Amino acid sequence: MSELAVSVVGMSKVYPVPFSRRAVVAVRELNLAIASGEVYGLLGPNGSGKSTTLKMILGLVPPSRGRAEIFGRASSDVASRESVGFLPESPYFPKYLTGTETLRFYGKLCGLRGERLRARVGELLELVGLASAADRRLSGYSKGMLQRIGLAQALVNEPRLLVLDEPTAGVDPAGSRDIRDLILRLKERGTTVLLSSHLLEQVQEVCDRVGILANGVLVREGRVEELLAVENQTELILENAPAELLMQIAALASTSGARLVEQRKPQTTLERLFLEATQPEDSSKRRTSNAEHRRSD
Amino acid sequence: MQQQQHRAFSFRRVAAIASITLTELTRLRVFYVLLIFALVLIGSSMFMARMTFQQEFQVLKDISLGAMSLFTSILAIVGTARLLPQDVDDRAVYTILAKPVPRFEYIAGKLGGVLSLLAISMLVMTALFCAVLFARQQAVLAATAHQMTGLPPQELSDALANVRASTFNSSLLPAILLVYIKAAIVASLTLFISTFATSTIFTIVVAVFVYFIGHLQATARAFWLSEHGGGWASRTFLAVVALLFPDLQLFDGVDHLVAGTAIPMALFVKTAALGCFYVVIYLLLATAVFSGKEL
Repeated sequence: MSELAVSVVGMSKVYPVPFSRRAVVAVRELNLAIASGEVYGLLGPNGSGKSTTLKMILGLVPPSRGRAEIFGRASSDVASRESVGFLPESPYFPKYLTGTETLRFYGKLCGLRGERLRARVGELLELVGLASAADRRLSGYSKGMLQRIGLAQALVNEPRLLVLDEPTAGVDPAGSRDIRDLILRLKERGTTVLLSSHLLEQVQEVCDRVGILANGVLVREGRVEELLAVENQTELILENAPAELLMQIAALASTSGARLVEQRKPQTTLERLFLEATQPEDSSKRRTSNAEHRRSD
Repeated sequence: MQQQQHRAFSFRRVAAIASITLTELTRLRVFYVLLIFALVLIGSSMFMARMTFQQEFQVLKDISLGAMSLFTSILAIVGTARLLPQDVDDRAVYTILAKPVPRFEYIAGKLGGVLSLLAISMLVMTALFCAVLFARQQAVLAATAHQMTGLPPQELSDALANVRASTFNSSLLPAILLVYIKAAIVASLTLFISTFATSTIFTIVVAVFVYFIGHLQATARAFWLSEHGGGWASRTFLAVVALLFPDLQLFDGVDHLVAGTAIPMALFVKTAALGCFYVVIYLLLATAVFSGKEL
């Protein structure tokens, strides 16, 4: 078995209610094992315990019971965060800093300095597509740009584990697509990604495995294709098929005891339509080809 | 990227947090307003009623040191009270503590930023104060020389030396340093309060309360000792009170300054060491509370 990036064993979080015997259970007896290089999606409705789980994994909130480890080190150990990058939901960065200054600050916290820091900051600004806005104050950044600078600060120490809490919240479809493309590029480089989201289509597209939290309990977990597959059905997509062929297939299916459930034209997604309509031709072609490339994977 | 060995304490990380905190604080309008207040107050002392030059310099020093002490204390309370709650509210604390930054370094960096701001404020106010004092000294010297025209040179020289001795003396620098140390105590105390306070207003109210108690503590202690004697129980109680409410009156060197007497070096060192002790104690207490805090 490959090295575990995240290991959570019997972890619970209980918040006592002041002046009452009652307590709120945010997370109950959670067990997670995320392999190195995997992209894992934590799903769940609002208040299901996703953010609390991420904070406990990062050591920002102590669990009431159980333990969490990052690459074999207890997450309560500050040193475990050397290999972690985190983007919280709707992060705030000082508006008076420029993109470069923001990344320099986070780089210094990770022990970078001098030429190494300068080079890393430039590299990250390129990576998230903010090189042209590097010297602009964050007060002039759009929501999508702020999210990208947030992603860049999370990557400043070249983390082996990237934790993203609702990474595309409030970002338009193009920005959202950019973030997804970035996650896929990081996956290719071997970075483990743990993300929480309630945008299911997005999770489906990038995650290898997902876990679904409801009321603090992990109710489902598994590989995306296994969880989504309808076991007794098969999907065929034909190109340039004449009507006679379709009729022959339908007849063949009925003679063999199978039932043709549905025959329809495949549809593009609303997102792809949006991107094709709003992006320059070159980039929309590139995005389409990226999407097709991923589908063929 | 090649991973570096994690250091349990890194001065660079503390300096990075202190630097960004200072930048954030200098953007507070209250900082500029306070400086303007200080400017107005020190400037207004130039237009006081006619007095002898000794009285004039004494009043000028008294008002200026008092204003410095008051404004730096207000700045320490107002500037510090909102630092932690604001970082927690807008989640900036998550991005910082998700890096390999121990909570002690985060707290120390925040305090470092406030202390830097106070140091800059003190430098500006001291420079202004010295400039006003120097200007008044020059005016008085010129007036004295004019009034004593025709008198023997030795008499004139003595009179001018007398004027110079009344303006800048050896108590000036220690008194200013003690004002800074007092502001540092107030800042670290406010930071400690903010780690468990439920709101910024609560922090400010409690810090102001402790500030006033701190100025009355010496009198209250003397009264308590006269009533209850100096037994161990009394002394223990007073030690706890002294920890909760630092004796801020100790840091007012104005009396020496006004009287023109030098603050004894031993007394200055002892008082400064006590101030540093308070700052460290409050920093450690703030770290202890913040470490157990649910973010």
